[in-house]
Amino acid sequence: MNKENLLDTLLARQNASKEGYLDREAIAAVAEEFAMPETRVFEIASYYAMLEIEPQAKYVLEICNSTPCYFSKSNEVAAWVEGELDVKPGDVTGDGLFSWHYTPCVGACDIGPVIKVRDTVYGDLTKETVHALIQDLRNAKNGKKFR
Amino acid sequence: MNKEPVLLKRIGKMRDPASVEEYTGLGGFAALRKAVQMDKEDILKEIDTANLRGRGGAAYPAGRKWRQLYGIEGTPKYIVCNADEGEPGTFKDKVLLEKDPLSVIEGMLVAACVFDSPEGFIYIRGEYHTVRQAFQKAVDSAAAAGFLGKDILGVKGFDFTITIVSGAGAYVCGENSALLNSIEGKTGRPRVKPPHLAEVGLNQKPTLVNNVETFACIPVILNIGGKAFLEMGAEDGGGTKLVSISGHLKNRGVFEVPLGTPFEDVLYAEEYGGGPFEGKPIKFLHLGGQSGPLAFPEQIGGAYSYKGLEDKKLAIGSGAIVAMDESVSVVEYSKKVMEFFVYESCGKCTPCRIGTTRILELLEDFVSGAAEKGDIEKLDAMLTQVMALSACGLGQTAGVAVRSALTHRRAEFEARISG
Ligand SMILES: Cc1cc2nc3c(=O)[nH]c(=O)nc-3n(C[C@H](O)[C@H](O)[C@H](O)COP(=O)(O)O)c2cc1C
Ligand code: SF4
Ligand code: FES
Repeated sequence: MNKENLLDTLLARQNASKEGYLDREAIAAVAEEFAMPETRVFEIASYYAMLEIEPQAKYVLEICNSTPCYFSKSNEVAAWVEGELDVKPGDVTGDGLFSWHYTPCVGACDIGPVIKVRDTVYGDLTKETVHALIQDLRNAKNGKKFR
Repeated sequence: MNKEPVLLKRIGKMRDPASVEEYTGLGGFAALRKAVQMDKEDILKEIDTANLRGRGGAAYPAGRKWRQLYGIEGTPKYIVCNADEGEPGTFKDKVLLEKDPLSVIEGMLVAACVFDSPEGFIYIRGEYHTVRQAFQKAVDSAAAAGFLGKDILGVKGFDFTITIVSGAGAYVCGENSALLNSIEGKTGRPRVKPPHLAEVGLNQKPTLVNNVETFACIPVILNIGGKAFLEMGAEDGGGTKLVSISGHLKNRGVFEVPLGTPFEDVLYAEEYGGGPFEGKPIKFLHLGGQSGPLAFPEQIGGAYSYKGLEDKKLAIGSGAIVAMDESVSVVEYSKKVMEFFVYESCGKCTPCRIGTTRILELLEDFVSGAAEKGDIEKLDAMLTQVMALSACGLGQTAGVAVRSALTHRRAEFEARISG
């Protein structure tokens, strides 16, 4: 495989994984595919913010806190999310479904404050839409895949 | 002043932005057809005349960059499009990539023609997953229509491909040498320069790196001519600029603004920013991303142009305009900016890694009221050091916003000092 596909391959593997991260086997497989030492692939997986080397919740809510969003009430969004989920940033809810953390700008500042979940950005958030988003994600666990 | 858009003119008019047929129907690929007939020197001349300044942030004249690469021996030469768009408050490249991707492809093709380049890459930030899909569709349809691949436009030996490369969440990868490292499958940290990327770029080969919007301007220049492009904008930088407006203005979004437009119009005219949201007066702006300066009302006036802003110690940068109303504290804003740099520092050099953290700690003291007499001077000295000693543009600009805040609103910092 050409090296320029490395990050794409790692992201695709991570997305397809059950727990949303690159485990040792995934790293080893990619290392072989790209003829690179495992330690190099591991270093890369730890370097980039979107690549995870630890198991993740099913839905990771990323709240943008760069200044355009932060001063458009993303701090309130964080408080609402924390209230709904009752976990601190980085911690996973008891049912394994949710966690949340901050992220720098995701390039959707015109609809800030925003939350990114996997590849989807939800914008112009209010307390009600944050609540609805979490409900929708929770309900999607029964069969329907949320994308 | 002619306000007809040239970069956004097709947007919303195509049912399928990836369709070569629709793109061609709206004037697409006319510039490339011209380019293959033109003398390469004449293409470079048009870009020089246009005075197109790089739209990624540094405003380096594209004509000069192209000439440097043109004069360099060595093959192959690579064409790289920087679509990392990581500067907070910037979301204009996304519009082009998603809604008029073929214009970016056409710009890259003109470069391929000038430099006899066989291969191009576009590095799109990891967070833009759907954007990457949209762009891939355009690459595929261009290839199917013969605009990528072999003997393009029937010109023997005009072969060019474009590969999409995904980022994975690292602001510093927008720095052009870090970006090339990332494409090469290395950790995306900046390289030590020199050597210049024009000479030793991707895979050690001569390489052109330009921003998405810069590439999209190229077909416009060939279509209307360098002179008309220059006249559309300002003398110190021709053309229009895509501006991303966010924060506390009524109209948030991407707007195409002719360079030289009165700065106040960009903020207050209905067709652009539309004035303050919720009626509270604007207290300050943040221009060009987190690496840019804050702008205060007394600096807002004159023209929105490269020189117009430089004269006021401001900069256009990526074209981001973040507006903040009276509810926002300059001190707290400064702290949030520094948080960003601490988070994004790649850690390669100490002044940036440690320095930004120390500055953040000090700013936290100002916010909490724990700052003491002498801390303003300390802050000022640290900003100077970090920016002077850092190896790449990230550290070198990490203190720009805070420095401008200190210069123009020192009293707000003083008011936070206890005792
Ligand atoms: C930390 C850092 C981040 C950058 N991010 C971007 C970016 O996201 N997009 C971009 O086009 N240029 C970015 N740049 C500027 C590029 O290094 C480079 O100047 C630019 O891509 C050149 O293209 P242009 O001349 O067409 O603007 C960044 C620079 C630095 C130092
Ligand atoms: S200045 Fe900062 S981001 Fe740039 S190389 Fe040094 S540590 Fe990395
Ligand atoms: S600042 Fe939140 S998406 Fe850009």
